Amino acid sequence: MEQKHFKVIRKKILLNMILAPVIPFILILGIGYYYFVTSLETNAIASMKRISEDHREMIESFLTERKSDLEFIAGSYTFQELSRPKALAEVFNRLQEKSDAFTDLGIFNDAGLHVAYHGPYRLTGKIYKDTQWFQEVIKHGYYISDVFLGYRKVPHFVIAVAHEEEGNKWVIRSTIDTFRFNNLVRKVHIGKTGEAYLLNAEGMLQTERHSGGNLMDKPLDRIQYPESHRSTKSFIDKDANGVKYLYATTWMKDKKWLLVIRQEKADAFEALTSAAYLIILIAIIGGSVIVTVAFYLTNGIVERMTQMDAEKDQLGQQLIRASRLAEIGEMSTGFAHEINNPLQIMKSEQSLIEIFISELKEKGQLNQSETLVELEDSLDQIGLQINRCAKITQSILKFGRQSEPVAVDVDFKQFIPEVTAMVAKKASVNGISLKENVSEDTPLIHLDPGQLQQVLLNLFNNAIDAIIERHGSSGGKLIVESGPKENGKVEITVKDNGQGISPENLKKIFSPFFTTKPVGKGTGLGLSVCYGIVDSMGGIMDVSSEKGIGTTFTITLPAASPNPLIL
Amino acid sequence: MEKMKMMLVDDEERFLSTTKKLMSKKGYDVITATSGAEALEKLKYKDIHVVILDVKMPDMDGITTLKEIKKLFPLVEVIMLTGHATVESAIDGLKSGATDYLMKPADIEELIQKADEAFEKRQKMEQKIRMAQARKFMKSPREIIRETEKP
Repeated sequence: MEQKHFKVIRKKILLNMILAPVIPFILILGIGYYYFVTSLETNAIASMKRISEDHREMIESFLTERKSDLEFIAGSYTFQELSRPKALAEVFNRLQEKSDAFTDLGIFNDAGLHVAYHGPYRLTGKIYKDTQWFQEVIKHGYYISDVFLGYRKVPHFVIAVAHEEEGNKWVIRSTIDTFRFNNLVRKVHIGKTGEAYLLNAEGMLQTERHSGGNLMDKPLDRIQYPESHRSTKSFIDKDANGVKYLYATTWMKDKKWLLVIRQEKADAFEALTSAAYLIILIAIIGGSVIVTVAFYLTNGIVERMTQMDAEKDQLGQQLIRASRLAEIGEMSTGFAHEINNPLQIMKSEQSLIEIFISELKEKGQLNQSETLVELEDSLDQIGLQINRCAKITQSILKFGRQSEPVAVDVDFKQFIPEVTAMVAKKASVNGISLKENVSEDTPLIHLDPGQLQQVLLNLFNNAIDAIIERHGSSGGKLIVESGPKENGKVEITVKDNGQGISPENLKKIFSPFFTTKPVGKGTGLGLSVCYGIVDSMGGIMDVSSEKGIGTTFTITLPAASPNPLIL
Repeated sequence: MEKMKMMLVDDEERFLSTTKKLMSKKGYDVITATSGAEALEKLKYKDIHVVILDVKMPDMDGITTLKEIKKLFPLVEVIMLTGHATVESAIDGLKSGATDYLMKPADIEELIQKADEAFEKRQKMEQKIRMAQARKFMKSPREIIRETEKP
């Protein structure tokens, strides 16, 4: 029942001890993680967007510059001049000096005939009238193609600019170095897996991709397009291989090409993963610390409670025992008192019988005989037994009495021998040499001699018990000394060579109910009552002991005031 | 010499009757009462010198009876008879005006001895009172003249 009760308490305390810190702890970690995630994602997306816009600007400005180069040439030279291969080669060389992005240069007349060409291929004389790029350039004045194979069967793209000269349109076209352009587009640095590539309107790769994908391939990844022309769209999606990517897409000028910048999500949010691991680690360590501390504290509390409960039980039992003792004391005094009344009557009757017998004898009505002697002997015996009963009841009454202390001036030179005389017989029977040494200059002490007698008798009896325990019936020594001390104090020491007291018992020696005697033998009240008595006299009771050597009790009492009237 | 008149007060009737017989054998006049109230009643009509009073009685206990007796009949000597060996009850009784106390069970001789002592005390007291009264009657002639001059 008790055990179960403590188990329930233990469970409750433990639960509270764990929950109270764990809930806010988890909450703090959760909130921290949430805000960290949100800010990290916002930052990652924002930087992705910014990079994509910057990158777009750069690519656009590169293309615009190349277009301006061609426009400059077209404006600076006539069709006739450029149609000459030698002049074209010279222009190309000058162009190359400025920008090595161009790989060739070609001039077309309005019929689409490749009039002059300078570059690694043999394209002079080919007719381009029906190609898409030629039609577009005639129509719009300039054209930047998607990557295509063309006559040379190699993926490439071209920039072409149309020029009108005296009513005749001619076209100047240059192929852009795919390698250089690729490098330009791919040149972004975002984490480990960040990459940039261009897609045309059909979703075909216009530049190579780090993560795989050749020119003119059509990657299977789902791409979300920005809503408007100049805006940037960011999203997270899985690619064809199931890897999650963080994307930013933006249209190039003319909505021809789409710039895609992407980074593996795990890479982009790498800090997030490590933060998550850190939080899990903190949660585990913190949690286990909380649980350990809770267990430790709960165990401590429950142990203390169990201990206190046991102490309470013990104290309760001791109280019951003490009150039973008091009850017995009271009962026995009442009992003794009641016995005294019939004893009184018996005594009176016995006296009366004696008188009657002597009267009868005087009158001669009773003859002297053996029977009469026996009768008188019986009568005497009755008288003796009544007196014996009276003695018993009186000693019971003395045991049960609780009197107010009556203080008088006590002279130790008389008092101590009186008290030691009471135990002298017991001591001599047990072979104990009893010495008393009362200094001649011991001052008078103002106290209740009955109380001090009780204290000393208690100490003597304890000492005798301890001596018997160690020496049996010979070799014991009990010394009582008294003498003046400084500051008007008187010291009484009771010294024995008994078995001594262990240091741990010495600490508890004056506690009520502490006893080393077997159950039922001692109440454990003796020394505590002595201590209380000495304390009420304004004195101090102290003890020193060594196991196997002996024990010394010291009582220090204030001497009586030399002039009692001052009191 | 006046003869001592004693009263025994106790709730034990057998004690009263036996002790009365014993006392009579020894030549003492003894009357008895079984309660404090009865004792007080009897004191009103009879001249009693010494009362031997049990401390513990039902209704009116010994100490209360003692106080009543001392209030109403201050000259009556009271000896307390206690079954209780405590110093307190003895002290209590003595403080309230008892002459002496005896512990139960008491010898009849002891009882008689204490009673005799008490009676002696009583007689000394009466002697003193008589002396004082006699002095009052022996007025000086001057006093008599002064008293007759008064209207």
